[in-house]
Amino acid sequence: MAIPFGRTLACALLLAVGLGFALSNARVEAWQALLPLFEWMETTLFGVIGKTWGGVFAVVQAGHLLSMAMLGGAVLAADGRLLGVLFRDQPLAAVQAQAHRVFVWSLVVVVFTGVFMACGVAIKIYYLPVFWYKMLALLVGVLFAFLVRRPLLADDPETLSPLVRRVVAVASIMVWFTVAATGRWIGFSG
Amino acid sequence: MNERIYQFALWLDGKASSTALHESFYMYNWIESTHVLALMISLGMLFLIDLRMLGLALPSVPATTVAQKLNVPMLIGFSVMMVTGLLLFYAIPVRTSQSLWFRIKFVLLIAAAVNALLFHRRMRAAPAGWDTAPRAPGNLRLGAALSLAFWVGIVICGRFIAYDWYDCREEPAALIAALAGCIPGQEVF
Repeated sequence: MAIPFGRTLACALLLAVGLGFALSNARVEAWQALLPLFEWMETTLFGVIGKTWGGVFAVVQAGHLLSMAMLGGAVLAADGRLLGVLFRDQPLAAVQAQAHRVFVWSLVVVVFTGVFMACGVAIKIYYLPVFWYKMLALLVGVLFAFLVRRPLLADDPETLSPLVRRVVAVASIMVWFTVAATGRWIGFSG
Repeated sequence: MNERIYQFALWLDGKASSTALHESFYMYNWIESTHVLALMISLGMLFLIDLRMLGLALPSVPATTVAQKLNVPMLIGFSVMMVTGLLLFYAIPVRTSQSLWFRIKFVLLIAAAVNALLFHRRMRAAPAGWDTAPRAPGNLRLGAALSLAFWVGIVICGRFIAYDWYDCREEPAALIAALAGCIPGQEVF
């Protein structure tokens, strides 16, 4: 039996757990427990390559940037359609489905190149607050994309109220903008 | 030519606002961040257009619709990128003008602009009805592939500018020094 407002309740619960985690000592304990993982990351093949060959690191950085651009393009195209400013004459469901495919492939490359880069400078980013802000934004973005946006638009997006569509689009643009902006700020920190 | 570029860069470098911009941690980083975020918009739109031509994205949306609708945000992004790019150059004119990577990037930017002009000309000349096919005609696909290649090169070179591998200060090999426009005996870098 489906629980009424199940997804809303699940999101509220997730937010409450996240807030509890952020405000309690569990956050600091989790951060301290992750140090060995970051130390290990620097010893992996990615870590050694990233630290030894600046050229390879820079090319992967460029790949990260390019895939973020592609991801941004997919997000803006899909959310532009939701906002009614792009592809207004095209079926909403078709644009969402096709843009989502580009989004998923871009996200895979973003994460892969991101992990490579993180391995090369693992200890440095471990101590950077902005890195954790980015990870939080990325987590929120992924959860939002797959657990909120996708299910909401999966059935018949035309039946959704324009207000809900706009809220989803603006939230999506904001969270991915935050991911990109905090990522850029990592380069200026430390 | 290199001497003139160097003199021009020196003249820019002598401006108080150039130094102020370079030395302002927040202003410089805001401009650089805006440059990169604008790149996300403009390249994101451009890549979608190119991938649509190659049949790899939005196949059910007519190709001309994709090109027309995404053209405006793409051009807005490019405009912001151009303005912030000029400001970044203005902040560090001597080193940037003598960066091998900046020079390659500049050539690639011109190539990408020429390719874009040819692409739009070919798109207008293409026979009616082509844009509903999942893939564009061969000449448009070639233009799209070249566009992708040029911009990948531009972004890689842009990233490489930050590294000092071939800076004139490092006294690189003669060929690199000539390509980068290093001036013998120069004192300002």
